Amino acid sequence: MKTLISLSVNGELHELAVAPQATLLEVLREQLDLTGAKEGCGTGECGTCTVLADGQPILSCLTLAIDCEGTEITTIEGLAQGDNLTPVQQAFLEKGAVQCGFCTPGMVLAVTALLRESPNPSDQEIKKALEGNLCRCTGYNKIVEAVNEAAERSSSTNA
Amino acid sequence: MSELQYVGKSVLRKDGPQKVTGKATYTVDVRLPGMLVGRILRSPHPHARILNIDTSAAERVPGVKAVITGRDSLGIHHAFVESARRYPPDQLALAIDKVRFIGEEVAAVAAVDSYAAEEALDLIRVEYEPLPAVFDPIEAMQPDAPEIHPTNPKVREPFRNIGGKTESAWGDVELGFSQSDYVAEDRFESHLRTHGYLEPQATVASYEPGGTLNVWTSSQGTFIKRAKLARTLDLPLSAIRVHKAYVGGAFGGKIDLFSHEYCAALLSMKASRAVKIVASREEIFTAYRHGQPLIIELKTGVKSDGTIMAQQIKVINNSGAYRGSGIVVVFLSWGFAMLPYRLLNLKYEGYAVYTNNPIRAPQRGHGAPQMRFAIESQLDMIAEELKLDPIEIRLKNARQPHEQLPNGDNVHNCGLPDCIRDAADHTQFLQKYGHGRKGASRNGRFRRGIGMGVSAYFGGALIYPSSSSVIVKMNDDGTVTMLTGALDIGQGAETILSQIVAEELKVPIDEVHVIAADTETTPVDIGAWISGGAYVSGNAAREAASQVRRKLLDVAGDELEANVADLVVEDKSIFVSGSPDSRLTYEQLVAACIRKNRGDPVIGEGHWRTMRDEPNPPSLATAKGRWSENYAFDAQVAEVEVDTETGLVRLLRAVTAHDCGFPINPLLVEGQIDGQVSMALGHALMEEVLMKDGRTINPSWLDYHMPTIHNMAVSEYIDVVTESYESGRPYRTKEVGEGYVSGILAAIANAIYDAIGVRLYTTPFTPEKILKGLAEHRSLSHDHR
Repeated sequence: MKTLISLSVNGELHELAVAPQATLLEVLREQLDLTGAKEGCGTGECGTCTVLADGQPILSCLTLAIDCEGTEITTIEGLAQGDNLTPVQQAFLEKGAVQCGFCTPGMVLAVTALLRESPNPSDQEIKKALEGNLCRCTGYNKIVEAVNEAAERSSSTNA
Repeated sequence: MSELQYVGKSVLRKDGPQKVTGKATYTVDVRLPGMLVGRILRSPHPHARILNIDTSAAERVPGVKAVITGRDSLGIHHAFVESARRYPPDQLALAIDKVRFIGEEVAAVAAVDSYAAEEALDLIRVEYEPLPAVFDPIEAMQPDAPEIHPTNPKVREPFRNIGGKTESAWGDVELGFSQSDYVAEDRFESHLRTHGYLEPQATVASYEPGGTLNVWTSSQGTFIKRAKLARTLDLPLSAIRVHKAYVGGAFGGKIDLFSHEYCAALLSMKASRAVKIVASREEIFTAYRHGQPLIIELKTGVKSDGTIMAQQIKVINNSGAYRGSGIVVVFLSWGFAMLPYRLLNLKYEGYAVYTNNPIRAPQRGHGAPQMRFAIESQLDMIAEELKLDPIEIRLKNARQPHEQLPNGDNVHNCGLPDCIRDAADHTQFLQKYGHGRKGASRNGRFRRGIGMGVSAYFGGALIYPSSSSVIVKMNDDGTVTMLTGALDIGQGAETILSQIVAEELKVPIDEVHVIAADTETTPVDIGAWISGGAYVSGNAAREAASQVRRKLLDVAGDELEANVADLVVEDKSIFVSGSPDSRLTYEQLVAACIRKNRGDPVIGEGHWRTMRDEPNPPSLATAKGRWSENYAFDAQVAEVEVDTETGLVRLLRAVTAHDCGFPINPLLVEGQIDGQVSMALGHALMEEVLMKDGRTINPSWLDYHMPTIHNMAVSEYIDVVTESYESGRPYRTKEVGEGYVSGILAAIANAIYDAIGVRLYTTPFTPEKILKGLAEHRSLSHDHR
């Protein structure tokens, strides 16, 4: 039996009938056509399904959709305004932190959350924040460079 | 020669904005109206006869729209490599009478949702008669071993279960050994690793009334998929359209035809609905194709000055239940043995052995990591014995520019000697070498070591489709559209091809629009799996753009009443040298061409085939015949720290000095190197697919330890540039996508030895092996006292 819920995603409120066992990831991808969040394993081990819940990164493959009422969900589709990329997205592009791109949405969201909490993170903070996000292409080197670049860029914009 | 504007520059990825905004559509994201969910039933037995399959209960499950078994298929065999005589195809997309590994595909269902599909799978009754199974390649070669393919292959003597064999020799190996001052003999073993692509294997197939099969599949080239689907489904090539989808990593693991692709197609044909199959991560770990563990017996004879006089190599490949790329690895291992160093006398024999393990695939480096680990480790051992340092013994034997290889290939502008010298200088190798095990810190808990590994890799070879074509067309507004069959799997194919077109036509990168990797609308492409993209597809793009440039120049010459030789191409326009103010824009030139030349809108085509005079690829059996016309070289240095209490090793720094020819996009080159260093680090220290009796016992990311951000190593690069790019001329660029995963693996092994004096002959270099080695070392030095 499906339950009616209202889910706020990227600032839009959706009325949805969801199965009680449906994960947030399934609902985002299959009911809302927001396919930026990926399922790399479905068991919370790879981080490709990362989205933000009230600004905090969560694994949407391990989260039931019915538990997300009253939470503001942000997906990768909710970051850029038109063609204007966020500093994190721009830094990922410019530093070569994107290859196949499958981990990128989760990475970008996790970094976005990190920089909100800690605008000038140490290497240790960066590693802690991204330890649950696997990337096979880059060896992480250029991802760390991109985080530092984004931090610099955000702080100079804010200053 | 005008200054280069677009190639040789770190241009940003063309697909970057799509990827950072989540708009890039991967196969897993493709959704079609009325699409069904497909699931696959797999064998629980490593070797069994199928007596009966009853699908009647499954077919009655509400929501189930199609159920298929091998009986519904045409029973057409396929294989990664096949030839009628020597390598008859040995594999079915759906098993009919026998299964040969745990996870082999037996049946498939399509249903309205995953719940119905899985319920149906549970209700399929398969009656098996288990057969004796064998998992170890040495056991499988014994005369009394269970035969996995009794009627196949023809190479059977003197061992059983030989799926393929390469035997090659040149010079006189016995003479070489007799002329040697020192002969080393060692045995090395490598282990099973997975590719670790993050996007699961996935396919969407949609059979349209009228007979067109539309396919989206996570792959490394759409044209080879079309060919294999057409053959196994017995459809004309033209009935199948494989569309482009973004690909979430592959690393060699998504080349060949996979059963899920065949099943999605057949289910869609049966149900007349679109069908999507996505493999679970557990399925990928247990039933899909991993890399290939090799046993390497290596005998090397040297003069006292370190000159290699002879090498004898025997390779045994545990290549799984079907041929897969097992025989290819055995052939390539010969190649990776002979590339970097001059070998006057070599004897090589390699066996691909059938076992009841899952099929094996190419994996980034495809045999090179295993082979270079063995040879580079032994070379360091020899150097120590002869009291030579690791740098001089490598320089002594390194191939020099323009050397001829035994199969007729040439190394052209080989930069290996410079790579070795530069990597050594940059890391102050010789100042550091020996300090870990001999210096003042040798009694401390943490010890550091430095090691070098050398490797080489080919760029492009003859295997279907062997060539690439590109079409470049001008648009009315003066922008350009490029049609290429190349598939961007993250390596940046679309970006570098755009750079080449931009360079030839002096058009901004953003104004080169790309249509790619669609078998219906783009010309054929060699694929993203034979390390030929930058060279083969790149030269095709260059030729196509050059043709457009020539047409534009002709029109401009006419319009400006000037000789073409006096014209300058710059910034999307053409003018007579010295008169930049009276220029004609591309927009004007295209309009003029349409007006004057019966509507010709300016279209160019380019084609490239590597080794265009060679009709055939080299023989897998004898390794005779030309293999490639481009070889990239590298020397890599690893600096490690070993914790002698826990046995844990950390890779602190990796330096890659490499000759990739001409780096078309340095940022992308760096990205390829970083990724390979990380993959080698995982290979060396962390990753292993553990199998017991044909079953994977660690089928998840948590239990299979792929490097996380905490394992990141410093990665530095030294470009040894040996080729140039000139507009309008063919260029020779080499390889950067998989050649640099090998030297660094060997370098880590050598660095561990340098740190603690423990020589490791098997990968991975686990804490257990390190601690055991340290204990033996201690008791040995105790005895000596």
